[in-house]
Amino acid sequence: MSDLTLTNITKSFGKVEVLRGIDLTIRSGEFVSLLGASGCGKTTLLRIVAGLEGVSSGKVEIGGSDVTDLPPEKRDIAMMFQSYALLPHMSVSDNVRFPLRMRRVGNREEQDAKVKAALETVQLTHLADRAPRQLSGGQQQRVALARAIVSNPKVLLLDEPLSNLDARLREEMQVELIEIHRRIGLTTLFVTHDQDEALSLSDRVVLMNAGEIEQEASPREIYDAPATAYASSFLGAANLVPARIEGNVARLADGQTLPVSAGSPDGKATLALRQENVDFLDEGGLTATVITRVYLGSRHRYILDLAGQKISVLAPASVMLEPGAQARIGIAPDRVRILPA
Amino acid sequence: MVRAVPGWLRVGAWVFVALAAVFMLAPLVVVMGVSVSASQFIAFPPNGFSFRWYERALGSPAYLNAFWLSLNLAVLVTISASLLGGAAAIGLSRGGRSGGAVETFFLSPLVLPSIIFAIGLLMLWSAVFGPTSFQALWLAHTVIAIPYVIRTTLAVLAERDPFLEEAARTMGATRLKRLWFVTLPQCRPGLLAGAFFAFNISFDEAVLSLFLRNPNLTTLPVQIYGQLEFSPDPTVAAVSTLMILITIALMLILERMLGLTRFASG
Repeated sequence: MSDLTLTNITKSFGKVEVLRGIDLTIRSGEFVSLLGASGCGKTTLLRIVAGLEGVSSGKVEIGGSDVTDLPPEKRDIAMMFQSYALLPHMSVSDNVRFPLRMRRVGNREEQDAKVKAALETVQLTHLADRAPRQLSGGQQQRVALARAIVSNPKVLLLDEPLSNLDARLREEMQVELIEIHRRIGLTTLFVTHDQDEALSLSDRVVLMNAGEIEQEASPREIYDAPATAYASSFLGAANLVPARIEGNVARLADGQTLPVSAGSPDGKATLALRQENVDFLDEGGLTATVITRVYLGSRHRYILDLAGQKISVLAPASVMLEPGAQARIGIAPDRVRILPA
Repeated sequence: MVRAVPGWLRVGAWVFVALAAVFMLAPLVVVMGVSVSASQFIAFPPNGFSFRWYERALGSPAYLNAFWLSLNLAVLVTISASLLGGAAAIGLSRGGRSGGAVETFFLSPLVLPSIIFAIGLLMLWSAVFGPTSFQALWLAHTVIAIPYVIRTTLAVLAERDPFLEEAARTMGATRLKRLWFVTLPQCRPGLLAGAFFAFNISFDEAVLSLFLRNPNLTTLPVQIYGQLEFSPDPTVAAVSTLMILITIALMLILERMLGLTRFASG
């Protein structure tokens, strides 16, 4: 059963086409990330699901019924905003109660029980009577999460909810989100521009680019086997090197050759090389010129010139090469992704 | 890096502050001083000390009637200006194509000389309704009080989180519920401050009241002015002092309720 179905959604603001035909189905209980650079249309898509934005054409179905023309207040959803959007004049518990009150869910005692359960889920029971401004950013964020899950919505929408937190808190909240999702299993649509967040939280990642879905796949699949040059450069910052496939080897622009897995059609192609998959060799392999070395503590990052193309490569701290030196590098054939040119 | 403020500028600033304090406070001190004078002439420093002018003011039907008229008027103007100005501010804060022009129009009583408005309203009222009445004063004061409510309410609305209302929608709040649970609580400090201004504007307004007065319609400021012109004695100062005290009392009440100083400095 699917909780959310989007059919051929398009959206234009004036003459600007923001979404060009999005089809997406989310199964019950699935956690799906909309990943993409700013301006790719991911937030607009989320707002369309919420009903805060209308569609130019297409259909939105939630829980099997067509809600395309319903305003947000009539949709069975909850949304968590980047700014948390807590009501400043209400206490924490009144904020969490708000959706129940507005939707007239149960009587006072039933609401109390639900508010308590939601606050327990985010471990904030002890702050129930505080005002939002008395809380830290991380605590406000948990209140917003409690408020979003309290009404047990058909679809939970999260709009970059972690982007205002500092790095350590963000990692903590990621773990917590995973655990909460595992426990209560709400169907969740999560918007982010952070690939690590998308990969670590989701059952499925939907990569968007220029108003279209570039690729949708499981986190492992989209990372290990990006389907397009855009996908491989967006996920894990792969190096893209133009080459010509000749059977079992790829010939680079300067004539050097690199063994690759068989099966790709001969002719022009783009090689996607992940920085962590490139090895430094003592002899053999490809020759590249060191441009810059960046010390990262446990490792070095090298910027190399490979056949006229700048590539970024991670090396153990023991590899010490000066700018201008020749580096010998190799990549296992099954680690080389061959993409259409 | 912090650069030291030059000495002459520091001295200049203190002189400025001192002058401002003198010219703002000295007139009040003079009025209060005259009000407790024993002499029947308006003179400062006062001669002797007595509360007889307060007795006379509080025993004068003309002053008492004027006071009740002004108080009634100010309370009604506070209510009408807050309702209309608040509604206008909420509408204006949502933007829209002609928002700027509408805002300028609503705020125009601030820049339009009130004497012109007074003459115009007197002529219009006479042509349409005949003799001036309490309603004419109420209308006139409401018009000039509305801009203050709009300004203070717009100021607090400008600082609100624009996503609050959208968030409320996703939580199932319909239009009326959003107004009641989200927008109005956000407006509260601005509305209260605006109401305070509206009360004061009406309570000490003189120009409009002077033009629209008739023998049965003399507000407190007009009564004071009239007495100053025709039979000056320290009663005027006593009444003025009472007005100052009422204003201070109002400010203290409002400060208790929401912290006017916080609003004024924010």
